[in-house]
Amino acid sequence: MPLFNLSNVSKPKETNYDVAIIGAGPGGLASAIYAGRAGLKTIVFEKSTEGGQILLTDMIEDYPGFVSISGNALAENFLNHAKTFGANFTNEEIIEADLVSKIKRLKTDLGNEYTAKTVVIATGSNPRKLGVPGEEEFMNRGVSYCAVCDGSFFKDKRVVVIGGGDSAVEEGLYMTKIAKEVTLIHRRDKLRAQKIAQERAFKSKMKFILDSVVTEIGGSKSVEYVMIRNLKTNEMTKYPTDGVFIYVGLIPNTQIFKDQVKTDENGFILTDEHMETNLEGVYAVGDVRKTPLRQIVTAASDGAIAVIDMTKYFD
Amino acid sequence: MAALLSEEDRKYLVDLFEKELKGEVKILFFGSKRKEECEYCDLTEQILQELAETNNKITIETHDFDETDLVKKYNIEMVPAILMLDSEGNDMRIRYYGIPSGYEFSSLIEDVIATSKKGEVDLSASTVKKLEEIKSPLKLQVFVTPTCPYCPRAVLMAHKLAMKSPNIIGEMIEANEFPDLSMQYNVSSVPHIIINEGEGEFVGALPEDAFVEQIMSVVKGV
Repeated sequence: MPLFNLSNVSKPKETNYDVAIIGAGPGGLASAIYAGRAGLKTIVFEKSTEGGQILLTDMIEDYPGFVSISGNALAENFLNHAKTFGANFTNEEIIEADLVSKIKRLKTDLGNEYTAKTVVIATGSNPRKLGVPGEEEFMNRGVSYCAVCDGSFFKDKRVVVIGGGDSAVEEGLYMTKIAKEVTLIHRRDKLRAQKIAQERAFKSKMKFILDSVVTEIGGSKSVEYVMIRNLKTNEMTKYPTDGVFIYVGLIPNTQIFKDQVKTDENGFILTDEHMETNLEGVYAVGDVRKTPLRQIVTAASDGAIAVIDMTKYFD
Repeated sequence: MAALLSEEDRKYLVDLFEKELKGEVKILFFGSKRKEECEYCDLTEQILQELAETNNKITIETHDFDETDLVKKYNIEMVPAILMLDSEGNDMRIRYYGIPSGYEFSSLIEDVIATSKKGEVDLSASTVKKLEEIKSPLKLQVFVTPTCPYCPRAVLMAHKLAMKSPNIIGEMIEANEFPDLSMQYNVSSVPHIIINEGEGEFVGALPEDAFVEQIMSVVKGV
């Protein structure tokens, strides 16, 4: 990570565009690159920092062309690439959208209104909550969903990581560099993460409690323990810890669109093979879409397909 | 010492400021002669100096934490501290405690631009109206880490509100540099926003409406 990062300094802007891209993760930024190259007047809305979830990843090793690159550096490459081809960026959150009309209207949290002929929904997803007692109560006192953001508060302390997928294992590995003790708790008998990450985790100081779920997060002023139930034996254990990092899946950010675009039962947006939704000129790319794989490379690929298809509205 | 800003970033800032800066911006930096008490003072001062070199509308004034009169005038609580004055010397009521590095460097740049426009910021009409109801001093402390991509949004929101409302002070606090204060407010997940030293608090970079709502509930005492 560069010591001084300039990625989210926003630029002056107009309000009428050919393409409005909502979200600046890999899917949104790839769309912006292709839209710029297609000569479309493009704006990208990002509510926090351009890059999306890859900013939460310490190192990335599965994006072709980069054997190993920090999430931050890859995000910056994506962003600069999109800016080179002329995309505009603004740090505003879309709070209302009319996607049904021919000209799409988007309203932001700053009270600004934008129009666009086409829209790419690239809003990604948020960490799913575990849904156990204590999770809300200790939200700001030991419970976290972002190891890169909050890891430094647990220097030389004990943490547990809940989940068995790529995020859980990779963020757990990140925490082994900071915390005194890292224990990964997973409900199945084996991890789901990519093999290489698993092997590294097994070699690291990380401990594993498998076939087990956390049923409660407890403590007085801040987190002091989690209650763990072994699913095979039903045995309950009170496990001492100072922090709880939760990586148990994703919830798509489709709240403001879900009355207009079709989604599956979990809220992921349904598209055709060109990434177009049930609404003409409205596309969905990346993690927010119903898709068998959620990786940087697939999000970027979605963006390319969407924008190439979209050019049919500008012929 | 080697430059902190890359040549590419320096050029970017030269262009950006050339286009965006309207009036003069005076940045007041408070450090400490006792280096052991302020690990990041030197680095903070250096990045500000490099920033000032990108455009002649930006000037840096360096002070020490033991200059009691000035520290008192601006109510500086700890160091390193940064605040900004517009061309007429008006305090923008924004504070940075700790180094604005990582993602927070963007916040600093946005603040310099807003200060050059005498605190002209983009806020919705409904927010501006609500801010008029705030009649007594209100302090917003936004605890961040430099690696938190969500944090600049919360910092900028607090700073924008401070620039707009004469009663609000908006602070960024780099949590790692002030562990005792972070501990006092149980900061373990950022951004963590403390309103009036604990009268209210919330975690997360909320959209403008929800952010203002949190503040108003403290103001109205509900």
